[in-house]
Amino acid sequence: MSNQAAGLTKRNLSIAKAVALAVIGCVLLALPFIAQNRYQVHVINTAGIYILISLGLNIAMGYAGQFNLAMGALWGVGAYTAAILNTRFGIPFWLNLPAAMVAAGLMGAIVGLPSFKVRSHYLAIVTIGLGEVINIILVNEQRLTGGADGISRIRMPSFFGVPINTDERYYYLILVVVLLGFFVARQILKHRIGRSFRAIRDDYQAAKAMGVNTAYYQILAFVISAAYAGAAGALFAHLNTYISPDIFEFSSTLFIMTVTMVGGMGSLAGSIVGGLALPILQEYLRVIRNWQLVAYGVAIMVVVLFIPGGVMELMRRLRGSPMLRQFSAQRHAEERFEPEEPNVSGN
Amino acid sequence: MFLEIEGLSMQFGGLSAVKDVSIKIDEGEIHGLIGPNGSGKTTTFNVVSGYYKPSGGKITFERKNITGLPAYRITAAGFARTFQNLRLFKSMTVLENVLVGMGHHAKAGLWQQILNPIAVRREERAFVEKAMRLLDLLGIAKLAEYPATSLSYGHQRRVEIARALGTDPRILLLDEPAAGLNDIESVDLRETLVKIRESGVTIFLIEHDMKLVMGMCDIITVLDYGRKIAEGSCEHISNDPVVIEAYLGKEEQL
Repeated sequence: MSNQAAGLTKRNLSIAKAVALAVIGCVLLALPFIAQNRYQVHVINTAGIYILISLGLNIAMGYAGQFNLAMGALWGVGAYTAAILNTRFGIPFWLNLPAAMVAAGLMGAIVGLPSFKVRSHYLAIVTIGLGEVINIILVNEQRLTGGADGISRIRMPSFFGVPINTDERYYYLILVVVLLGFFVARQILKHRIGRSFRAIRDDYQAAKAMGVNTAYYQILAFVISAAYAGAAGALFAHLNTYISPDIFEFSSTLFIMTVTMVGGMGSLAGSIVGGLALPILQEYLRVIRNWQLVAYGVAIMVVVLFIPGGVMELMRRLRGSPMLRQFSAQRHAEERFEPEEPNVSGN
Repeated sequence: MFLEIEGLSMQFGGLSAVKDVSIKIDEGEIHGLIGPNGSGKTTTFNVVSGYYKPSGGKITFERKNITGLPAYRITAAGFARTFQNLRLFKSMTVLENVLVGMGHHAKAGLWQQILNPIAVRREERAFVEKAMRLLDLLGIAKLAEYPATSLSYGHQRRVEIARALGTDPRILLLDEPAAGLNDIESVDLRETLVKIRESGVTIFLIEHDMKLVMGMCDIITVLDYGRKIAEGSCEHISNDPVVIEAYLGKEEQL
């Protein structure tokens, strides 16, 4: 009887899930038409780019525990790779996207090297430093990067002859890349690789004893996160047609970190929530100007102190008990295996 | 010879934690390593399992020199270990903890995982089946979906053993598996260890619980101040005056 009821609610849940997904899908597809003006679409496009970077940071920091705080600079590496290839050699976006991912990924591997020697906060500081080095290179290698003036006149992409030259059209490009990024991330984290990442984060020594090649997975986490930043960089460069090094300064890393932490560390959906909410909120917060930075600082502190899992954890809490799934699993086990203890003492 | 430790030394600065220790372990043996606190037992384990590079000596496993290899390669060679103080992965369920150790057998790499989810899922299912069998062997299959650190101490110890077995070891290094267990749990553990040995895994264990050690080990090595002071069968060790002196002090002539 109770089984039947459980089956029913389960079916209802899956129906509700399908309906919700369909609604979300429709909203996503219709978004450029719902928006009141072009500027709103541009803000959403920017949000999409931040989602992508945040997914990368979440893989490295939220899952593997590797503090990659050079994300802003790696984003810059991706953007500059695409910009230089496009303006110097006329290479189109479609080739620049993978090129930017590879370039940023390689740079990410270098940024990740210190993870062999230092961990947690120390690693954070070293990667901040390496990010700054990258930024200084962007400013000073004038012949290659245009120095502080940046690079302008990057051409927007076209898709089989259709130019993707408006924010509305670019929106769909970003949508596809972000969705792809999300599902690839989910696939990577699902089984062994995700478990190895979490093992390293939870207990480095025990992970080693379990045969996890920690050095490989640490660098892998850096490379994957950097590749995400690189893809976001290519999208950013071709969307705005102009880039300059100040965009990729440490403050951008801070913003991405805020997005990720507020959304939810260790939750890919959190990256989407944070990546959507903060850039949009930023638009409304323009009136308070520099106090924005204070707001981010406060937001990070509140999250770290009270809701380490970010918005996603908050939602889980609001939905009921904090660890709904775990508790139901426990109840389940207790119901089914009552005679456990007597059995043990019998031996 | 299955596992041969020859003239092993480990120094930390001026302190010699292990001095010129040689131990030979045959396949299928349950080999005990005992000694007073600070005698170098855990250090020996840490060197053998690749956490420390030894200052001197040689470790050969099935005629292959494994001295100084990184820990993950020693695991791949057929070693698995548990820790004196529990080190379970706290964000994971019991089952996931065991699955981590199976990772190094996985064939599906990064690209497979992205591009061929069906093959990966098949592999994953085989891992889960095997992990459940191991949890069953340890008598904790029903706790598979619990968060690992929510279990009782005794059960967490069993998860550690199951997790170590997940790496498919030829030899299992257990660092005080009975620490913190009550008498009943301890008897239970002993039965489990015998079962594990029967399944073809050699066991090398550090233990303070003499009841457990004496009843079960084929050979016992005794360390004191980093040196090997005795080695032999249970009766031999329990009657050896050198061992008794190390543990209880010398009998004073009145």
